[in-house]
Formats: sequence, C-alpha cells, structure tokens
Amino acid sequence: MSDTVDTASRLPDDRELLPVATGADTRAAVRRLLRPHRWRAVVTVAVLVAGSAVALLVAPLLGRIVDIVVSGSGSAAVVGPAVLIAVVAVVAGLLTTVGMSLLVGLGERLLARLREQFVDRALALPLEQVERAGGGDLTARVTGDVAVVGEAVRGAVPKLARAGMTIVLTLLAMGALDWRFLAVALLAVPIQIHTARWYVRNAGPVYARQRVAEGGLQQQLLDTVGGAATVRAFLLADDHVDRVRGRSLTAVDLVLRGIRLMTRFYARLNLAEFVGLAAVLVTGFLLVGNGSVTAGTATAAALYFHSLFGPISSALVTIDEALSAGASLARIVGVAELPTPNEPEKRALPVDGSVKVVDVHHAYRANRPVLHGVDLDIGAAERVALVGASGAGKTTLAKLIAGVHRPSGGSISLGGVGIDELGPELARQTVVLVTQEVHVFAGTLADDLRLARPDATEAQLREALAIVDALEWADALPDGLATTVGEGAHSLSVTQAQQLALARLALADPPVAILDEATAEAGSAGARVLEAAATRALAGRTGLMVAHRMTQAATADRVVVLDAGRVVEIGRHDELVASGGRYAALWEAWSATRT
Amino acid sequence: MSSSDRGPVTGAAVLRAAIVEQRRDVVVSSLLAAGQQAGSALVPVLIGVIVDVAVTSGSPSLLILWIGVLAANFVVLSYSYRFSVRAAERAAEHAEHDLRLRLTHRVLHPGGGAGGGRLSGELVNISTSDAKRVGTANVVVPFGVAAIIAVLVSAVVLLTISVPLGLLVLLGTPPLLLLTHYASKPLERRSEAEQERAAHASGVAADLVAGLRVLKGLGAERTAVQRYRHTSQQSLVATLRTARAYAAQGGVVETSSGVFIAIVALVGGLLAADGAISVGQLVSTVGLALFLQIPLSTTGWTTIEFAQARASAARIAAVLSAPPAVPAGAGVAPEPVRGALRLRGVTQGLLHDVDLDVAPGELLGVVSPSPAIARALLACLAREVDPEQGTVELDDVPLAALDPAAVRAAVLVATHDAVLFAGTLLENVTAAGAEGAADITAALVAAAADEVADSLPDGVDSTIGEQGSSLSGGQRQRVALARALAAGRPVLVLHDPTTAVDSVTESRIAGALRRIRHGRTTVVVTTSPALLAVTDRVVLLDGDGVRCEGRHADLVESHADYRETVLT
Repeated sequence: MSDTVDTASRLPDDRELLPVATGADTRAAVRRLLRPHRWRAVVTVAVLVAGSAVALLVAPLLGRIVDIVVSGSGSAAVVGPAVLIAVVAVVAGLLTTVGMSLLVGLGERLLARLREQFVDRALALPLEQVERAGGGDLTARVTGDVAVVGEAVRGAVPKLARAGMTIVLTLLAMGALDWRFLAVALLAVPIQIHTARWYVRNAGPVYARQRVAEGGLQQQLLDTVGGAATVRAFLLADDHVDRVRGRSLTAVDLVLRGIRLMTRFYARLNLAEFVGLAAVLVTGFLLVGNGSVTAGTATAAALYFHSLFGPISSALVTIDEALSAGASLARIVGVAELPTPNEPEKRALPVDGSVKVVDVHHAYRANRPVLHGVDLDIGAAERVALVGASGAGKTTLAKLIAGVHRPSGGSISLGGVGIDELGPELARQTVVLVTQEVHVFAGTLADDLRLARPDATEAQLREALAIVDALEWADALPDGLATTVGEGAHSLSVTQAQQLALARLALADPPVAILDEATAEAGSAGARVLEAAATRALAGRTGLMVAHRMTQAATADRVVVLDAGRVVEIGRHDELVASGGRYAALWEAWSATRT
Repeated sequence: MSSSDRGPVTGAAVLRAAIVEQRRDVVVSSLLAAGQQAGSALVPVLIGVIVDVAVTSGSPSLLILWIGVLAANFVVLSYSYRFSVRAAERAAEHAEHDLRLRLTHRVLHPGGGAGGGRLSGELVNISTSDAKRVGTANVVVPFGVAAIIAVLVSAVVLLTISVPLGLLVLLGTPPLLLLTHYASKPLERRSEAEQERAAHASGVAADLVAGLRVLKGLGAERTAVQRYRHTSQQSLVATLRTARAYAAQGGVVETSSGVFIAIVALVGGLLAADGAISVGQLVSTVGLALFLQIPLSTTGWTTIEFAQARASAARIAAVLSAPPAVPAGAGVAPEPVRGALRLRGVTQGLLHDVDLDVAPGELLGVVSPSPAIARALLACLAREVDPEQGTVELDDVPLAALDPAAVRAAVLVATHDAVLFAGTLLENVTAAGAEGAADITAALVAAAADEVADSLPDGVDSTIGEQGSSLSGGQRQRVALARALAAGRPVLVLHDPTTAVDSVTESRIAGALRRIRHGRTTVVVTTSPALLAVTDRVVLLDGDGVRCEGRHADLVESHADYRETVLT
C-alpha cells in the first residue's frame, strides 16, 4: 500500500496530507469489507431486482387498458388490468421495503467497520505524520468524510442501485414490447454516456478544489474564532475578517463553478431525453400505422421511456454525491488501510525501570538534525531533570524515550530491553509521557481517568486524584466523578486539566514516567501546585523531567544539561553548580534574582 | 456591516434579510423554475396528444408538428432549469457568505460578548452549517414557487380533459401525500435521535483525535479504540433501526401511489370506454397523475427545509444580537497617550477594592498568588469587562467612557493564553502594527524570538502552522512576546510572558524588556523573580487589595508573604 500516497494532496503551504487511497485500493478495501457479508449482498440484490421487475408491469397493464378502449370491448374489461396494477403496487412496495432495508443495513455495517478501523489506525499514526498534515486533516476525515460516506450509504447508494436496476429492466421491457422500441430508445445512450464522461472529467477536479477550499475556510474560521480574544486585544479584526472573506469567496466561487457544470450537464441530458422520446413516439406512430403493434403497446413504450427520465436523472444526479463520497471514502481508506504497527514475535520483559540511551540522533526533517548522538543512563527509580535552552532538543529526547517517535539513529532501551523489541504494546505499559498539552476527553471525569487504566475501581480513581491533590475539587463538581467534563460540558481550568493528566499517570502506574513542561501552561502560580502534584505522582518510579523552573532541577537526583542537541553536562545539582559550567550559569541567572 | 450596533436581531429577520437581499436572483430563479415545471408537466400531455394522432388521424404532418412542439417544450424547460438553478445557487451562496462575514464581525467585535459560553467549534459550526442552511432558503423559495405553479398548470389541463377525472386526481393527491407525511412523522423523531447518535460517534472520534498527543503519551490508544468501537456499535444499532423504518416508509409511499394510479386508470379507462374522453386524454391523465406527485412532494420538502432554515437563522440571530460585554463609550481617547493608569476601588470577581496608580513610563510588576485575581485585573485593564465596582482610568479618562477598540489602541494586554495565527513568524510579529524594520528587529531580539527564527528552515519567513503548532511551548511564548513588543503600544500589560523559557534566556529577556519599553508604561503580571527584578516597583495583590508595594529586592528582604509567593 506504500504507493497509495496521492501526490496531488500536497498543499501549497508545504503541508503533506495523510495518504489518500487510489481508486483501485479503495475498491479492494470495499471488497474486503464486503466479503464477510457476501450472502447478505446476494439476497439484497435479488430482492431489489424482483421489486423493480414487478413494478415494471404497470406500464404494459396501462397499455392493456388503452388497447381495451381502442378495441371497444366494453368498459367491464378495464377492471381486470386496473386491479392487477393495484396488486403490482402492493407486491412491489413489499419487495422495496425488504430490499432497501437490507441494502442500507449492509452499507451501515460496512461503514461502522470502516470507521472503527479508521480510528484504530488514526490513533496509531506517528505524530510527526499527523503534524505534517496539519491538525485539521485527521479531524476533517473523521468527521466530515465519515459523514459524507454515511450520507451516501443512506442516500446515494440505494438511490443509485434502484435507479440502475429500473433503467436496465425498463430497457429490457421495452425490448420485450418490440425490439424496435429498444433500438431507437438506445439513440439517447451515446449522448448520455458522452455527457456523463464529460461531467466526471470536469467536475472531479472542481470538487476536489472545492473540498480543499472548504477545508481552508474551516481552518481559518477555527483560527479566527478560537483566537478571538487575541484578535481583539491586538486589534486584528479587520485583518481576520479579510482572511475569512478571502477564504469564503474562494469557496463560493468554486461552488458556483460546480453548479455551472452541473446545469450544463442537465441541459445535455434534456437533449438525450428529447431525442429518445421523439424516436420512440415516431416509431410508435409508424408501427401502429403499419399494424405491427397496437396503440396500447406504443403507449406502454412511450410511458416506459418517459418513466426513465426520473431514474436516469436520479442516477446521474447521484454521480455528484457518488463522486464526493468516493473522494471521502478514498481519504478514509487511505488511513484505515495503513499497515498495523508490528508487534515483535517474541517479547522480552523489562527487568526494571532503568533507561539507557545510546548515541541517539534525530531529525524531523532531513538535514535539520535536532539531536546529535545523545548518551544517557538513568537508573531505576532515579529522578533526572533535563535542562537546557528552548530548542535544545529536550522535548524531542523526551518523546523518543517515550516511544512517541522513533529515533533516526542510535538505540533506546527500557529496563534493559530495546524499545523495538518491547513492541508498541509493552512500551506503552513501561513508559508514560505527560506533555505540556492538556486535553480533557469528553465524557465523565471517571471515564477520562479510566483511559489510563480501564479496570480501575472507584476507590483507585479517588486515590489517584488524592495523590495529585485534585480530589477536593473533583468531589465539589456537580456530580463528583460522574460529572461530564471536556468539550461542550463542564470545563476545567488548565491547572485542573494538568492535575488530571498527572492522576492518569498515577493510575497507569508505569515504571518510567516522563514529564515535559507539564507545569508551564498553568502560569507561574498554578505551576507550584502542579510541581507538588508531580513530585507525588512520580514517587517510586523512574522520572525524567523536562525542567524550566530551576526548583525542579535542584531537587532532582541528577541533572542533564542539553545544548543544541548534545548532552553537555551530567551530574548532581551541587556538583554542577560547583563546576562552574553551563548549568552553573543557568542556576546563577535564576538565583541572582532571588537574593 | 457591524450588526451588533443595530440592536437585537430575530431569527425571522435574519432569514427574511437573507432572501430579500438576494431578491433579484430569487425572483428570476422562481420565474424560470416555474417555466421548467410547466414544461415538465406538458411532456406527458404531449405524449398523449401524439398517441392520439397515431390512433386517430395517422397524419405525418400532424406528427411532425407535434414533435416540433415537443422539441420547443424541451428547449424551454431545459434553459429555464439551467438559469433558474444558477440564479438560486448564486443567491444561496451569496447569502451564506454575507452571513458568515456578519458573524465573523460580531465575534471579533471589540465589545465582545458574542461567545456567550459557546465553544469556538460551535461558533464555527454556526458560521458554516447554519449559514449554509439559511442560504439554502434561496433555493427552496424558487422551487416551492415552481411546484405550486406546476400543480396549477396540471390542474387546469386535467379539468379541461374531464371534470370528474380531474377532480379525482386533484382531490386524491393531497390525501396521498398526507398519508406519506403521516407515515414519516415518527421517522423524523427517530431520525433526530439517530443524528444525535451519529453525531455522538463522530464527536467521540474527533475528541480522541484532538487528544491524540495525550493518548500517545499515556499509551491509551488501545483503550480509546475499544471505547470508540463501543460507541460506534451503539450508533450502528440505532442507525439500522432507522434504516428499516425508512425502508418501510418508502414501501408505503410506493404502494399507495401505485394503488392511486390503478384507481385513476380504472376511472379513466371506464370514461374512455364510454367515449367520454379520448385514448390520448386517458394517457395524458395517467401521465399527469404520475407527474403531480413530484411538485406536491416538493412542497413537503420545502416546509421541512424552511423549518431547518428558521432554526438555523435563530441560532445565527442569537450570536448576532448577543449584547456586548462592555458598551461602547462616547469619550475621546487622550492624544497623545501619556500612559498614566489609575485604579480606584476596583472590584471584579476575586479582585477586591484595588487602588493602584501607575506613573507614565513606569515598569511595574504585579504579583498575585491567585491566577483568578490576575485574570480579573487583566480583563479590567483590557476593558474586556467593566469592573463591578470602581473605575480604571487612563490619563484621567475612565476606560468605561471609551470605545473598547480605542482602549486597546492605547493599552495592549498580552495574556498568557494569547494564540499565534497561521502564517509566517514575521507576519505574526508584525500583525499588530510595527513601525519599521528596526522596531521589528528590536522586538524580535528583545523577546529572544530571533533565536527561534534562526532554528526554523526559512528564518522569520517560516510558516508556523495553525496556533503556532509547529513551535515548542517556549518558542511560541517568545514569538508571542515579540508580537506584543512590536505592537509598540503606549501601555503594555504582559501576563506571565516567560513561563516556558529557560532561566538564562529569561534574564536576558528581562533586561531587554526594560530597555525596549523605556519611557513607556509597562505592567508585568508575573511571579518570576527574573522579571520582577528589573521593575521599578512591585505590588502584591491578594483578595483584600494591594497587600504591599516596593522594590523587588526590598520586598524579598522585608515581606515574608511576598518572599513565599515569588521564591518558592
């Protein structure tokens, strides 16, 4: 699947979108999803064909009534065909109900499976890849694209299936009336095929650009609305309204361009309708004239053809929806079919909480190395502070040890076992990373905590909250631990959210914990609360703290000073202060203002 | 354009304006759509006429004449459709665009208050989905008008053919549609529940994706996936139930319309057999009975779409008419601004009875043990709120008497949680207006943001992603500080500007801050000793107002509470 990356998905501002599946890969993925349900699929098609076929009996029955009238065989004879039309309606209605129910049910099952697979893979994606694509890409796929495909499964797909069957069966029925009707009706087909191909060729690119433009608009609105307070403070409203206007006008322009294409498409279809209808009517006139068909048959043929207008339009109208659903599907499959991360065949268990980093190099982008050969040994239950200027590579090192990224070179082992031999599953149980980023998951507070340990009892949850000094406010929430928190519900302060992150750490109870600037976002006053909480949450485990506040460094067992991607000093706080090196300078700058 | 100046807006007014402002396109589209519908109604009639010609006269010239009429009819209906849809969609898109801009204006209005507790995602949704729904009214109106005209045309034709048959079709169709409508009633309720479920499933997924970094750090991906699978399966069960109901409704519609056609065919057949109508008229009647269902069901669709547009318009109106958090004042801002701040008896939230004077050009440190007190002070200084009690004055003019935008042109409050915007580093720094290249460089250097630029591939021209997502916390903070310094406001209030910056850089920033703001009033709300050490004076604020004031070094010596707040 490595060749599925669509190069057209590169954005002008150098973002690299997540992979989009090719048409062939998308079809293969759908076939794989369909395989477990193939008998359901066969029955579904059979029922729908039967339903459409029965419904087609209406036109010849109407023709029969015309014939009875023309032949003057008396009004009583009209009753029989009329009753049959009613019977046909009831049977066709029943078959439609069953068939549609089966069809949509099938589609929904496939969609549910696909979206679950998508989330499964999306959460396994390396963070670098997600970041390169921009935060909006994954979100847009999981909300927008899944919704578009869902609508297609409920609307376009059944519509298309029914219309397609009706068209084919109607044409067959016309042929059964008289082959010449079918022959002239097919005069419309070249025009329709040409039109459809013209449309797909032209509309595809326009829709693709339309989606990009709409994504851009959405992103701009998020940026502007989310940053409204900043916009007001810096008086940037005019600039931001202009940005929104620009993005919105681009989107509007592309939508209208799509509409112009669509209306030209229908105009061409009208031509096909006229050509076919006129041909059938003229043929009927001639065949009735030379006595080879009755007026009733000619009527049935004309009614058949007229009744095709609806299904053909509806089939071709759904080309629109099908195209955009296809594009969305390719974007979902592109992620859902990514290979699963390999679990190693035999797994070694970490013996303790020690961490060993040997000659680790890393670069996010080629030629821009962030780490140059870092060596680091941390003993079990040791607490190490990582110190250095912004951009020295502290966060990168933290993420590498946590297994979030894989180093470009060198090796990292936890408890004496290389991270690769541990496999993602075991590595996750061994090391937990708490970052400066806070996210409170939507759901109850208890659910949020149980992400770290699904089987935790209420008592364990309370204990974890108590460790980080959060039990008091958690109990004070409207429904205690059952309070719904997160987006759209009870909102927590940054400090509370960080306490929650530390409580999750305590619950997960890993031998190794890494804290990266976990106190920075809370502001200087909240930071002290969090520092105390972090100290308690780290008790008994190996701790690596990316420290900005020097108090964190001063209380650590050892301090590692990182500078421009290299370890420049390692040692105990007082040793390093005494040695007069880089750490001493940092300490000096910090403590100078405190005396 | 700024709607918030117009007072409260109702949903009905928003919807009406969206249509009226696009009236030219809407009227043109309606007329053309009516033409298209009339043309479509005539197609089955013409089929009947041509069948009649074949059965009765067999005259080729008559056939050619009527085929010509059919062709003309197709030309009319085709072009009517084409330009009707274009006009309608143009009207819809323009109305949507206008609403989006009005909403953006309102949300960014200096008076604030538009959020009203809404999440930003919800506001974005209102400016996209709801604006689209309201815009769609401009498509609904022409189609509704056209459907009514189509029904009228069909009625005239049917009654001309035969009064009893015409009445049968005209009176029979509405009950048929009512039946359909009735069958779909429980469905609508169920569909709302389904949408909620589906929205919940997609909400859970989006939430997990948003918290991806946290999940990764915690190693909770597996648990999260299992949780999502559960939600997804629940959603599937609900959706399947709805799908069956939908299918049943479809079946009912198909059956009832089929039975109706059978009745029309029976009555028409009997009339034709008795010679009351011709064969062609029978064919036309059946054709029209089939056709009529389309415009009549369009009117049903119209009502549903309109109800949705009304609901969306109400949500939009709620944002547009939300009262500003602070009223615009009529007073004149001091010119030039000397930068004297005076707070008298200011009470706001946990901030209690604060008296404070900041001299022009002073560099003042404000220390508070409580983040809530700091935030309340910042909100008052930025005039995001007017204090519950007391006054804040700038150069002897009360802030409450000024337009909030005028306040912010003089006083910049750079909060800790200020965001960066998509664009280059330089665009972010210069966004709030920097006077010249020298000032920009000075601001970049003072905030140590030049080092951030040096570490990026294209220097200051590197794009930094939405909300500065490609930068680390410390880098973001320095760029944001450079932006605040580059704005060059007469009064600058900084809130915890260096919490994620290492201590060497922090002390360098502190020194540079003093130099770059020399002669202009600057307030730093922080507990960082490095920053406080360079201030002229520090005040300690707590729940009882100003606890103590003096030079940082003196307070560290003399004041135990101060020492504890700042040094531990």
